Amino acid sequence: MLSFICLLILLVPHALFTSTHVAVIYPQDQVLRIGSTLMATCTLSPELGLHANKLYWTMNGMRLSSSTYDMVSPDTLSVTLHHLNGSQQKSGDNLVCHGADGLVLGGSCLYVGMPPEKPVNLTCWSRNAKDLSCKWSPGGPGETHIRTKYTLKYKLRWYSREKECDTYSSGKQRYSCHIPRNLALFTPYEIWVEATNELGSATSDITTLDILDVVTTDPPANVQVGRVGDLEDQLTVRWASPPELRDILFQAKYQIRYRLEDSTEWKVVDDVGNQTSCRLAGLQPGTVYFVQVRCNPVGIYGSRKAGIWSNWSHPTAASTPTPSERLQSGSCESKPSEHNSTLRRELKQFFGWVRKHAYGCSGMSIKLYDQWRVWLQKSHRTRNQVDSTR
Amino acid sequence: MVTAMDSSHSLASERSSIESTYELTKYLEYQLKEIKDVYLTYLGPPFNEKDFSPPAATRLELWHGLENQARLAQNQKAYSVLLAAVRELARSTLCPSLKTSLLHFCTGLDGLLGSISALMTTLGYTLPPSSANMRMRPTMNDFARKVEGFWILRELQSWLWRSAKDFNRLKKRLRAH
Repeated sequence: MLSFICLLILLVPHALFTSTHVAVIYPQDQVLRIGSTLMATCTLSPELGLHANKLYWTMNGMRLSSSTYDMVSPDTLSVTLHHLNGSQQKSGDNLVCHGADGLVLGGSCLYVGMPPEKPVNLTCWSRNAKDLSCKWSPGGPGETHIRTKYTLKYKLRWYSREKECDTYSSGKQRYSCHIPRNLALFTPYEIWVEATNELGSATSDITTLDILDVVTTDPPANVQVGRVGDLEDQLTVRWASPPELRDILFQAKYQIRYRLEDSTEWKVVDDVGNQTSCRLAGLQPGTVYFVQVRCNPVGIYGSRKAGIWSNWSHPTAASTPTPSERLQSGSCESKPSEHNSTLRRELKQFFGWVRKHAYGCSGMSIKLYDQWRVWLQKSHRTRNQVDSTR
Repeated sequence: MVTAMDSSHSLASERSSIESTYELTKYLEYQLKEIKDVYLTYLGPPFNEKDFSPPAATRLELWHGLENQARLAQNQKAYSVLLAAVRELARSTLCPSLKTSLLHFCTGLDGLLGSISALMTTLGYTLPPSSANMRMRPTMNDFARKVEGFWILRELQSWLWRSAKDFNRLKKRLRAH
């Protein structure tokens, strides 16, 4: 106790010694609407021995014109600010009274903004049918100048008690919130956002949703694209289902899209179903393609409703084999040994087909060979491949 | 690595203790420089202008008036006060990423306090009694709060710079034994 008193005695004179105000600025901590007017005064302490005509004002470091000043008395200078703009920083605009040589005598923080408008673009999604994340945008520009609080609220449509989300993100995704647990399925929720600041408040429109309708996952993993033997017009795509789908609640449907290396037009393959591989055909030989896959959870308890498509996986590139020279006329460069083994293999396949379908070799002609090529294409098509028009 | 003599062993641990305290101080100095720039930008002009010098915060003098003890005890006391002040700064900061940076910095400062206490114990000094928190919280307007924040960071910067020199000196003194 004694030491505390000693400490206090030590402290008090110091505090007194330095608490002489150099100047008093009025008003303090004002919150105003954009476009309004403010008059502020700077009153000097008599000990300073300064006259008010030596003073000047700055706002956020910018000197204010003396035409806006008024000398109210020998020790008080006022300034009038018209048509205030929205605050430059959330910590408040700095209105500062200076003496000669720029000495800072005192200041006042000013908060200029607008009451909030209805928050808009409220979108929600669930990662695993157990949680819910939502994001929104401020309704108007004025409210972003001052501290505006957004509260995400939700309730079961058929039940009156409303709850608040309490995990707001502070990072890049500024206007968003995450509800980690205790959400019901197969039943509609009403969700909305309330915005408040010192100038007013506003509530967004209500969004109604069932958690199961907004489920999404990460994109499929390990997307691999490779050649199909020597076939020049085909590529095979393989991927792994995202881990969230391990929950038996969901199946998935997939979509693939691919494009030529230097094209911006994507070709979309829609009927991939729930397999984790697919063969693309009808491609150009010797060309590089970029391929992406995405998925959508479906089939929850037999419901045919789909969820939200995931993002596309990172593009994976692969190239179709270059056209074999033997199919072109008059070319020269080829690695003879490779050439021959490919030719031999293909001939073998061709003869096998001829024996089976063409009743022997009597009608041998290049036409027969072409027919075989077409047959090859068709039979690959039935094995779950995609046809595309050139 | 393990020496037979007790004294040389404790000297070695003193030296490495001082070394790591010194390193920590330099690291905090570096971290503070970054945070300070962001914080002053958050306060807005004129706080982030080059020669800005507001009237000294009312509580600044309290830190200058600390008892004249051994250098370490002085450091210990200063950083306790400064840590509480920075924590308060963090609490009232509206910008979430800046708040996180400040709180992270507080963790470092707390570590420094621990290092200094450990060092004092190793060297056989008595730790200063944990003083009653200078809980004089006068009601301040926001501008005065900004001014105080400005000075807290400025004060912290000079303490870290001074401490680094203190620890360096101490390091050399120990090496001379």
